[in-house]
Amino acid sequence: MSWDPSRRVFIREAGLAAVGIGLAPSSLMVRSARAAGAGERVLVKVFLRGGADGLNLCAPYADSEYYNLRGAIALPRPGSAGGVINLDGYFGMHPEFSPLLPFFDDGRLAFVHAVGNPQVTRSHFDAQDFMESGTPGDKGTATGWLDRAIARIPGSQVTQAVSFSSQLPRSFLGPEPVLVAQTLAAFDLRARNWRAEAETLLRVMYEADRTAVGATGRETFEAVNALLSAPASPPANGAVYPNASVGSSLRQAAQLIKAGLGTRAIFVNVSGGFDTHSNQLQNNSNDYRPLGQALAAFATDLGGLLDTVALLVTTEFGRTAAVNGAAGTDHGTGYCMMVLGGRVRGGRVLGRWPGLSRSLLYQERDLAATVDWRDVFQELARAQLGIAESLFPGYTPGPGVGVTT
Amino acid sequence: MPAPDPLGPRVALHLLSRAGYGPRPGEIARVLDHGLTKWIEEQLDPQPDSELSSRLSRFTTLDYTTARILALTNADPRATGVVLDELASAKVIRAVHGRNQLQELLTDFWFNHFNVFVNDGFDRYAITAYERDAIRPHVLGRFRDLLGAASLHPAMLYYLDNYLNTLPRRVGGRVVGGINENQGRELLELHTVGVDAGYAQGDVVEASRVLTGHGIDNLTTSGGYLFRSGSHDTGAKQVFGLSLPSGGGAEEVEKLFDHLAIHPATARFLSKKLAQRFVSDDPPEALVARVADVFLRSGGDLAQVVRGLFGSADFWAEAFVTRKPKTPFEYVVSALRAAGAEVANPAAIRRALADMGQPLYACNPPTGYSNRGADWLNPSSQLARMNFALDLASGAMTGVTANARSLVRDAGGNPDDPRSAAETINRQVFGGTLRAETLSAAARVASTGSVPVAARVGGLLLASPDMQVR
Repeated sequence: MSWDPSRRVFIREAGLAAVGIGLAPSSLMVRSARAAGAGERVLVKVFLRGGADGLNLCAPYADSEYYNLRGAIALPRPGSAGGVINLDGYFGMHPEFSPLLPFFDDGRLAFVHAVGNPQVTRSHFDAQDFMESGTPGDKGTATGWLDRAIARIPGSQVTQAVSFSSQLPRSFLGPEPVLVAQTLAAFDLRARNWRAEAETLLRVMYEADRTAVGATGRETFEAVNALLSAPASPPANGAVYPNASVGSSLRQAAQLIKAGLGTRAIFVNVSGGFDTHSNQLQNNSNDYRPLGQALAAFATDLGGLLDTVALLVTTEFGRTAAVNGAAGTDHGTGYCMMVLGGRVRGGRVLGRWPGLSRSLLYQERDLAATVDWRDVFQELARAQLGIAESLFPGYTPGPGVGVTT
Repeated sequence: MPAPDPLGPRVALHLLSRAGYGPRPGEIARVLDHGLTKWIEEQLDPQPDSELSSRLSRFTTLDYTTARILALTNADPRATGVVLDELASAKVIRAVHGRNQLQELLTDFWFNHFNVFVNDGFDRYAITAYERDAIRPHVLGRFRDLLGAASLHPAMLYYLDNYLNTLPRRVGGRVVGGINENQGRELLELHTVGVDAGYAQGDVVEASRVLTGHGIDNLTTSGGYLFRSGSHDTGAKQVFGLSLPSGGGAEEVEKLFDHLAIHPATARFLSKKLAQRFVSDDPPEALVARVADVFLRSGGDLAQVVRGLFGSADFWAEAFVTRKPKTPFEYVVSALRAAGAEVANPAAIRRALADMGQPLYACNPPTGYSNRGADWLNPSSQLARMNFALDLASGAMTGVTANARSLVRDAGGNPDDPRSAAETINRQVFGGTLRAETLSAAARVASTGSVPVAARVGGLLLASPDMQVR
């Protein structure tokens, strides 16, 4: 790794002083972080791993080619049983997204269609790598695009960037500290009757380790102490999260935002059955139901704070336009994003629709990509994190698709 | 073996932590007495382990065929839980208690290379047979055999949808079936030549055509492999330098495996992955080239390849000693071994692995879990590791017996004296390699308290940064 791991963590003076006397860093420090963080804008990236099919997420039901290509896995027109939910007379969203309709109708949810990148790869792992490093075609980039974004904004507490995932996502790879957690519940040392002693001595050990392992240990204690002082907040406004990992992640993301710990970027990893090589209708329903419920609960829970948030749902690529031999679809190109937030220019399907007739498909098989995802990422980073300069080495993003105000 | 001279506890610890899951108490001294080279040769030629067999004898479903597991499940769906419980429990017990450490580690490595996902429908019933029949027998054999066994096992054919990959047919004006590219792509990208080998989308399609017809007999009764010649595409094919004339059948896939298994790109791809496992997250280019050369010269003999790795100067190089962060599984097993733990019921261990981000057999994407230690470093996983260590050493882990007091006492230390306890554990399981700061911090625990001194010292040392690397 070419970045210096010791830069990844910084221990503030207060934290170091606390080690010496065997105390947790003072809650004063956390309060000041909270004051600094209150009302600041937040960017949330929800990554659907596996290549989520855009044509059934937001279906061009008015394009007759859609029904020719999709056959048995085409979603029926609006108004039919199991039909899509009409958005604009041309596109309809997947029926499992019905909890999101109020947010589309009041202009806080947008779709961006036919997104992709000229550097097409149909490998999941290369496509995810390129999208998260932000450098399509170049596997040598040492940092992720969200790490570079966080590096450009003030503050360096571990709660500034949070990932709900089992591993550090490539998007956050780099020198900035990141709190990676599957769950923030019971985020504390289990050492009954000797917790203070255990923390003090472990901090001494991890302080002496100047490798990435030591850095991780120091981040761990910083996170433990920040979260211990965060007020618990049950879902508000009657929000009900689904019992699924995306529900638990977004519930905790909302808690962090409400706690005001200075969180500016949140990554939510979703690994479901998006790689729908077979039995796509059932797989999509299984995944989109909790996703729609979780997004709606998140927006409801945040209430007015949703004005500070822009949440992006993305994936690594779309899927073949035509159904394959197993009522599924294979790896493709253009896909569909969703953007949810109080200041999103929603209630519309953005982007430039390339059409589905055979000659317009990419390599005569995939929905073509007409919007570069880097443009949308940069537009959101500009609106939410105030970053004007390019986050994508070797590329100058355009103005974006107008999804932010 | 060019092991460094002089041989000492540090070198023995390195070997035990790289070619196995780390030392049990006192094992460093025993291996030094026994001879490192001899230990390696024994690991490369695993013999029956009767003690392990008796520990596993209560897990009766480990020997069952997929058909038998399906029959049990059809009679009572609750049977599946027992089957999967036994599979995961056996994996932990083999790693913690087994003598053939290298074989266990390689079984884990190659299963992960040919990953399948336990929660994927039919694979719940086939995964026991998959690991036992397709992976384990071949990990010190030829890669070609491993490739063939894993690729055509029903668990893989299901996981990568190849059982649905068929020649499209026209039935009364409707097209039925068709190519499914999933396994054809991963065969090239993940299982053999690797994504950077230079193949094109056309090669993926052609490989998928070769794979048409290779499927599963019946998903709810036999669960066996079946080739359906009527579903096979008999046209001529060109896959990444291999030409197959028209009229071929089931044998085509064997020719493709022959072609890919000893391809130079495969040798490179696999050698880099093995060097990452055994030497460094970022292995030296020269090492990868040398191992790839052994791979090609031996026709993909995996025992020769591993022997070549252990025989390389880089394997023993100071620059790579205690530098590689452990995966959650490596950490948990090494901590259990270091604590001299007896594992009766691994349920708590399996929960902890899930908390650390590495639930057993449950990696959803076909990449398998990351082979790079650095990818596993994050605060949530780190906290779970510390808590695992503290629970383990204080005897608070259900189903696991570990006694830090007797570990220290049996080795001649004083379990009530913090410094004596810390120094004894350092000698017994760290080969005396602990950082001075780690050792002195552990020796600073209060000599009184409701949790015994040896349990606190042991917990801190197992939770220490020194324990996170190998």
